[in-house]
Amino acid sequence: MKRRSFLQQFAQGAAAASALLLNDSAKARPKVTTRQRYLRPPGALTEGDFLARCIRCGQCGEACPNRCIEFFSPRGGLGAANTPYITPRSQACILCMKCTQACPTGALQALQRTAEDVLGKVRMGKARVDKTLCLSWQGKSCGVCYRACPLADVAITVGYMEQPTVTEQCVGCGLCERSCIQMPQAIKVIPQHTLESLA
Amino acid sequence: MNKLRWISLIGVFAMLVFLPYVSVYQNYVAAHAYDLLSPGEQRLYDMVEGITSPFVSDPENDLDAIKGTTWSGQFFGVKLSDPLAVASQVSAGRRLYWPFFVTALIPLFATALFGRFYCGWICPATLLYELNTNLDAWLNRLGLRTGHRHLDRRLKYLVLGVGLLLSMVSGSVWLASIYPPAIVGREIYYSVALGGFGAGAVFFVLTLLFDLLVARRGFCRYLCPGGALYSLLGRYRVVRIRRRVDTCNDCAKCNAVCEFGLDPMRDDFGQECNNCTACMAVCPTDALRFTLKVRDREFQGPGHLGHRYRRQQPESENTACVVAAS
Repeated sequence: MKRRSFLQQFAQGAAAASALLLNDSAKARPKVTTRQRYLRPPGALTEGDFLARCIRCGQCGEACPNRCIEFFSPRGGLGAANTPYITPRSQACILCMKCTQACPTGALQALQRTAEDVLGKVRMGKARVDKTLCLSWQGKSCGVCYRACPLADVAITVGYMEQPTVTEQCVGCGLCERSCIQMPQAIKVIPQHTLESLA
Repeated sequence: MNKLRWISLIGVFAMLVFLPYVSVYQNYVAAHAYDLLSPGEQRLYDMVEGITSPFVSDPENDLDAIKGTTWSGQFFGVKLSDPLAVASQVSAGRRLYWPFFVTALIPLFATALFGRFYCGWICPATLLYELNTNLDAWLNRLGLRTGHRHLDRRLKYLVLGVGLLLSMVSGSVWLASIYPPAIVGREIYYSVALGGFGAGAVFFVLTLLFDLLVARRGFCRYLCPGGALYSLLGRYRVVRIRRRVDTCNDCAKCNAVCEFGLDPMRDDFGQECNNCTACMAVCPTDALRFTLKVRDREFQGPGHLGHRYRRQQPESENTACVVAAS
């Protein structure tokens, strides 16, 4: 009797697995279950493809010269454990592209440290100014985020009283967020995977 | 030979410990702020600088020559990866990414030649598991009982199959989280560069306990998906160990010392032999030697210097000495 029930359960499991395999839309996509806002390193593929390509080798973090790349614990979701992420407020990405060169599987596409590659292919997210927090927008004059931006005047522009405006060209490196002197920060990077899930 | 193997294992492990320190040193060099480092950080800087400065002129870039772990790394521009990583990634992504597949070719070729040698000569978890086996022997000598069960060796092939299937279904490479050498490499990096161990360290300690309490080298023998993959790839390995029956005396020391529970005394090495040469080292009559053959020998019968052989050959002049001792 035990063997029969075992075989029945095995058959059910196999049927479920094959149904998942054949039906792509029902594929159990691993999700990062942490509520923390995080960025993927530059050059990352979209979340689903990234999780399928990343082999959790850690070489991107090892190559990073300012050690902004950290790795998820299983608390971030079993499917995403040991994958790299960046918390810009903690340590932002300086867009050196060393991690993209180190990645062996192409989960981070190999990019060069040129304006063309950075502006064209890096899509970590988009910075967003919270005008109710931003000192410039609230009557004082700041402009620190503008000065921190490696693509100043391209990704971010300032107007009257150093009021920042983020453009479409922002790549989401997070140096603005890290440098913001307001607490909490008045400029935040909305991660690419969040933007895509909202689209 | 066995000493050479220990040197290899310790060397690989030492590199896994040293490379994260090099990475942290490179961070400090890139910051160009030696004076702002704390005393502990300055000590790390000075130590790594002392070891590496004779070899590199531009530490920030030149030290990128050797990076990574045994799971995936690079050695002077040549990227090398574990074949299990390629297998997992292909099943998770359901597509072959050729630049990554190419990085596993050298290990694949070496496994086809030497068999499961990664398990015996390179795997960082092996070093810890073999030390664990020594601990097990010491505990036994103290009188404490430890686990010496024998489970089914085919279980790890199931683990491999289920793991790859789950990767295919979930679209995520999760074998990396249960495969000990990947875990050991990552956890060492986490503890040195990121300030602490992760969940992988807990899992690894659990496997160490499993080895002590349930079965000797239990994880490697019965659960390791990588071991399963290499055993399959190394089934027709060219370099293998062979027993010379005319000098064998059936003492069974080879069987006793074999970490994977194989049966060298009966010519049963099989696809799981990792050429660790422990049996060769312990054999008192030097009956085990390397050979270039793609198949194991059939069972050659009892060793010619052993008692059972003498009993079976009544015409031999040795029978007069045997008497009723058998």
